[in-house]
Amino acid sequence: MNDNNSQKNLESSSNDTHNTLARRDFFRKSAALSATALAGTSLFAGTKAMADDPAIINHVPWGIKFGDPVTKNLYGMPSEYEHNNTRRNAELLSSGNFYASIAMCPIQESEGIITPNGLFFSRSHGGVAQVNPNEFRLMIHGLIDKPLVLTLDQLKRYPSVSRIHFIECPANGGPEWRGPQFNSVQFAKGMMSCAEWTGVYIKTILKDLGLKPTAKWMLAEGSDNSEMGRTVPIDKVLDDAMIVWGQNGEALRPEQGYPVRLVLPGWEGNLCVKWLKRLEFSDEPFYAKEETAKYTALKPDGKAVQHFYANEVNSIITSPCPEKPWTDLKKGDMVEIEGLAWSGYGTITGVDITFDGCKNWTPTKLKGLVLPKAWTRFSFMYKYEGKPLIIGSRAMDDAGRMQPTIEEEVSVMGVESVYHRNSIATWEVTEKGEVHNVQIRS
Amino acid sequence: MFKLDRKSLVSISLIAAVSIGLTACVGGDASPDGIGAVSSTGASHSYATGPDAGKLVVDGGVTYPVNNNKSGIYYVNSDTQNGGYSYGRTPTKNELDAWATSVTPYAPPPEGHGNVQDGADLYDAKCGMCHGDFGSGGGGYPSLAKGNAYVGQKSLTNQRGITEDGPNRVFGTYWPQASTLWWYIKEGMPHPAPKSLTDDQVYSLVAYILNINEMKIDGELVGDDYDLDRAKFLKIVMPNKDGFVPKIDGPQGQDNARAYFNDPKNIGAKTVSERCMTDCIKGETKVTRIKVETKDFLPPLSTVRDLPVVEKKAGSNDAAKASYEGTCKMCHGADGMGAPVVGNKKAWAKVTTQGIDKVYDHAINGLNGMPPKGGTDLADSDLKAVVDYMISMSK
Repeated sequence: MNDNNSQKNLESSSNDTHNTLARRDFFRKSAALSATALAGTSLFAGTKAMADDPAIINHVPWGIKFGDPVTKNLYGMPSEYEHNNTRRNAELLSSGNFYASIAMCPIQESEGIITPNGLFFSRSHGGVAQVNPNEFRLMIHGLIDKPLVLTLDQLKRYPSVSRIHFIECPANGGPEWRGPQFNSVQFAKGMMSCAEWTGVYIKTILKDLGLKPTAKWMLAEGSDNSEMGRTVPIDKVLDDAMIVWGQNGEALRPEQGYPVRLVLPGWEGNLCVKWLKRLEFSDEPFYAKEETAKYTALKPDGKAVQHFYANEVNSIITSPCPEKPWTDLKKGDMVEIEGLAWSGYGTITGVDITFDGCKNWTPTKLKGLVLPKAWTRFSFMYKYEGKPLIIGSRAMDDAGRMQPTIEEEVSVMGVESVYHRNSIATWEVTEKGEVHNVQIRS
Repeated sequence: MFKLDRKSLVSISLIAAVSIGLTACVGGDASPDGIGAVSSTGASHSYATGPDAGKLVVDGGVTYPVNNNKSGIYYVNSDTQNGGYSYGRTPTKNELDAWATSVTPYAPPPEGHGNVQDGADLYDAKCGMCHGDFGSGGGGYPSLAKGNAYVGQKSLTNQRGITEDGPNRVFGTYWPQASTLWWYIKEGMPHPAPKSLTDDQVYSLVAYILNINEMKIDGELVGDDYDLDRAKFLKIVMPNKDGFVPKIDGPQGQDNARAYFNDPKNIGAKTVSERCMTDCIKGETKVTRIKVETKDFLPPLSTVRDLPVVEKKAGSNDAAKASYEGTCKMCHGADGMGAPVVGNKKAWAKVTTQGIDKVYDHAINGLNGMPPKGGTDLADSDLKAVVDYMISMSK
């Protein structure tokens, strides 16, 4: 993202009073509708006059005719009814067009810890390159004894590993350093997704290439319009850095760098260079554009953090959220509060929840697979009472880090750093069950 | 606190305590972390292998060393790490030259030169439509200059909401190295036609951008008639050269990053040892709500599960296609239903020999197994458009 300008645009949009399609109104209306529905139900409950449900009484249309032949959609598509479960863009997050831009993952609809390939968030600096795999070449050169060129088939001959990792843009939540902007979890936290990646550890390839002891850094460069490149420290290269060609059991999608991208587990999405073209080893860093002009976090003392590698420990409640409110609940309902936690440092070890705006905290339960540098689900059973709440989550990891409060983070980073915002996020739940994005500042 | 979590919480606080202790001793070469290398998740704060074995993980996090063919929770085949791979080939010299195009503070750009005036002309022709007059920005594209770079650099301590203006972050005020500009223009610009500029053109654009940032080289202002060549380029000192932490240059660069990111205080991070469960905020909590909501989302936010709206414009090919896909294709899309299959030229040639009015009539009133209007409620004109579409797809 062109964050300088995005921040600008955010400011100007804050002054835009022409936005009339009020989301709050939308939820108010749906709340009113469901309230009516509830009243109607209780009126007839226990009486013989209760209306029969035509979805039960009548034959459903799809039950009285042929379905589709199996030859339709040989590459399957979601139900047409799911068309609202889609990536979304906002013009203010684009550099004047949709080529240097981002499309956010609909995490309000995410199930489990795997993002379907068509919904994985998509960020490019010069458009999504459409690479011909037959003309794909990977060059490895610089401070190694044996420089190497590989075709795609040759690359895929190396022994593979599959790992589930999230990838997150470090600007996830970046528009909200000075206050909440989006009444939407998709736009507040949707610059991330999680997938199973299949590829080869770079250390496996380097075994036979004779890496020189003076090699301290690796440039990874893409073949796309922007020739996107970033510098990676050798420690990460020799730890868990992967060159991947598989995403959730199939080839990478073009939006994720087909045919080959870099995956640096837990680190900035921008470092996980897509449409990969070459790896160059060097004794000094490369100072690529996206590690100097951008993806550096300016602190109040005027110094900017560069080479800010790991996405810190973080979490967000996805149910409820502004898109998925509690307006259909009635008092006394038991409801599951669910969310996602993740850490680029390691494995999530626990998530706490607050109901009173960060004053008091209670541990939640983790559920499902708990994997290093991967989305992790947390869950809390709550008895809904129709009371106003301010709920939020706070994650911890096995590196011993936990999410700071907004004040704690801002006191060090200021409000101009754009990137790496991982302070506690909160939702306001109104008496009616509507959910709004708010921030707690003590 | 329930039982399941207690175990993990204990291990968290153990790690946290160790982590804090370590943080204090980070600086030079950190000693091995002394937590038996692994926690309950298989994590270690220091590398077990590699050139920096024993040192803390460079990003401040943990690593998962392989023990007994497992790395954390994952099983691994350790035999894959024995080498012996000979896939691929050595690149030729020309291939290396073609791709090894990095321009860095340590890998200077090729010889060449260009002057400010040529750069200005080139800029107006190829860059100004996005980056604005004199690099002023616009339309969401980055500004390239905002007045004098040396003055602007001093604005980097500004914080919007506290100071009137925010920090001024453009090439002249913010970027640490000029090599980045040369490299990026050469590889990534102009945005619609990257890699189309000659080296001399890049030099002239760099000269122009230095000019509009009112920068000096070797004490000399890059004026309107300045001619830039490689020797002069290598003397550029950016105003914000020392504005970045940690220091990554030189043999200590990676260790500097290691020390920086292993100290949570540097980045406003927090450790589990600081975990507070009750009365964590003293006094009133201040709730900040959205002031003016941003909601120009594409497509608009919705969680409704319905069929996508198809605009039914008479004569619109899209609407006709949608109707075909939604209804007619059931029978006309595959052999065996007795209907002429769309795409089968022969079958449709036979149909259309009857004359188009007859075909429309059959479509509207039905024929053999086909119900009137194919069972749809389309207007006659829309139905005719569907027929036209099906014929057009079968030519």
